[in-house]
Amino acid sequence: MLKLTSNKKRLLLFILLGWVLLLVGDRVGELRQYQGSFVATYSLAIASIILLTGYSGQLSLGHSALMAVGAYAGALSINNAHLHPVIALIIATLTAGVFGLILGVAVARLTGPYLAGTTLALAVSLPTLANQFPILGGEQGVVFDVGAPPARFGEGFSQYKWFFWISSLAALIMIWMISNLLNSRYGRTFRAIRDNQISAALAGINAGRVKVIAFAVSSGAAGLAGGLLVMLISGVSPSAFPLSLSFSLLTGAVVTGVYNLKGVMLGGLVLVAIPEIADSLTTRIGGSEGFTATLPGFLVSALLILAVLFAPNGPGHLIKRKKH
Amino acid sequence: MLKFITAVLTSLTTGSIYALMSTALVLVWRSTRVINFAQAGQAVFTTYIGYEVTIRSGSYWIGVVAAIISGALIGAVIDRFFMRPIFKRIKSGPIVMIAPVVATLGLLGIIQAIIGFIWGLTYQSIPAPVSTDGFQVFGSTIAFSPFNLMVLISVTISMLLLTLLFQKTNIGLALRASAYSPEIAKLSGIKVDAIRTLGWALAGAAGGLAGMLFVPSSYLYPNAMDVLLVFGFIAAVIGGLDSLFGAVAGAMILGFAINFATSYISSKLVFPMAFIILILVLLIKPGGIFSSRKGRKD
Repeated sequence: MLKLTSNKKRLLLFILLGWVLLLVGDRVGELRQYQGSFVATYSLAIASIILLTGYSGQLSLGHSALMAVGAYAGALSINNAHLHPVIALIIATLTAGVFGLILGVAVARLTGPYLAGTTLALAVSLPTLANQFPILGGEQGVVFDVGAPPARFGEGFSQYKWFFWISSLAALIMIWMISNLLNSRYGRTFRAIRDNQISAALAGINAGRVKVIAFAVSSGAAGLAGGLLVMLISGVSPSAFPLSLSFSLLTGAVVTGVYNLKGVMLGGLVLVAIPEIADSLTTRIGGSEGFTATLPGFLVSALLILAVLFAPNGPGHLIKRKKH
Repeated sequence: MLKFITAVLTSLTTGSIYALMSTALVLVWRSTRVINFAQAGQAVFTTYIGYEVTIRSGSYWIGVVAAIISGALIGAVIDRFFMRPIFKRIKSGPIVMIAPVVATLGLLGIIQAIIGFIWGLTYQSIPAPVSTDGFQVFGSTIAFSPFNLMVLISVTISMLLLTLLFQKTNIGLALRASAYSPEIAKLSGIKVDAIRTLGWALAGAAGGLAGMLFVPSSYLYPNAMDVLLVFGFIAAVIGGLDSLFGAVAGAMILGFAINFATSYISSKLVFPMAFIILILVLLIKPGGIFSSRKGRKD
């Protein structure tokens, strides 16, 4: 009988998931492939929030800004340095990670509302910088073009399928790495600090250092998600990363269950589904331009509040509790 | 010299509007230990009410009164029927730390969406009651108008009234006592829950006034006060979150720093300057410059 360690099991699980995604990607239309790419991207961004908020107990409203950092880094390395898209995405991850490391040194020792407010200020102020450096392209932004799929995949291989492959693979690898991290010694120290910082410190954990690490890793993952997001919309501009993106990601994380990485795909699905639901609602019942434009935001916020009130530990807990 | 005087005067004006927002945040923080991110939404919503009343009645002043009263009412309702149940419901688990903040964020989204439902996303403007053209000094126009002067006077008066309320009345004493130590206040017979709601109402009123004073020199749209929320938060952190005097002083520091940086260095420095000040304060004196307490427990 083959004995598997939990790490190997997890790797097999991710490979299996990737294989399922590959099969699914072959069988659905272009629109679904495109939406699937968004699901993968949002899932990754939500995973980065869960790592930070759920496991290390830091609430960030600035993940839209961190995604923007990664997105600009990736776009510039494709556009100006003409690097390979894979390298560009790695650069996006690393740049956002380093940015998060520096930022983390400054903010990671803040607690609750201070951290939330400071990251909120970051999310509001960082995108305005894009208008001040000509290299960032102002409001028009920078083009992010990963190019057509390689010719060896054949004629029928569409651009959307290529997007789906890239974003799914990148998200799978990164989420796999995050889940490894969370199941390692670091994951335990994250939780120890979240639950009781003083006793964690007594147990010899350097709380400040661990929090900064969590912040940096989370930023890196957010940066990769930012790179993927602008790949899907083929260009990066300040308006691609509004504050509402941070709120949506937080909603996705809370809906998934902030303390559980397992359901991130659910959060990603919800974020992609909400605009669709709002769209079909408004085409059915009509309504003014203001109603149409603000309905998605309303649904996201309402979902956030409902999730906090009725399923604060995620839908999994809701089902478990009902069983008793 | 003229540039310097103009910079001082505009700093005072913008600083006083930040002061209203930071006061609103501090009032809520003192009573509930929550940063109320929904404050931006509440303030914009009440400003829309003020806008409707101004347009229908033709008088800006009736609009201001309507905004202040509706702001107080909305603040009280939110605390009584939204925040209090949430605090009652969520008592255990790691979610406790982030639930209040997340709840106010959700509320912010809902309020802004409701504004969109009712008034749409188009930019509205509220006509100013006095001229917004700059004063003439030595034959040249400066960037300080009678309206700016009015803003400055209104904020000063409302701050004086708030100080009177806090220092000279029994309600003020109860407000201070519940902020300082809710349990001892409860033991002394103060209805801490009601006082909390009063704190939210005062904050809502301050937000409504801030909106009515800010919008005539800008525009009214659902996200009009997001930036003011951020600046108000930064000002409150400079002041130490706990102290009303600190909130006003922090707002003035922020107003001066931003206006001097923009008029002497570059007009693009508004946000970077504010963010740098925030980080500096948090790094050097995380308790705030004017904190009334020695240590902060949460």
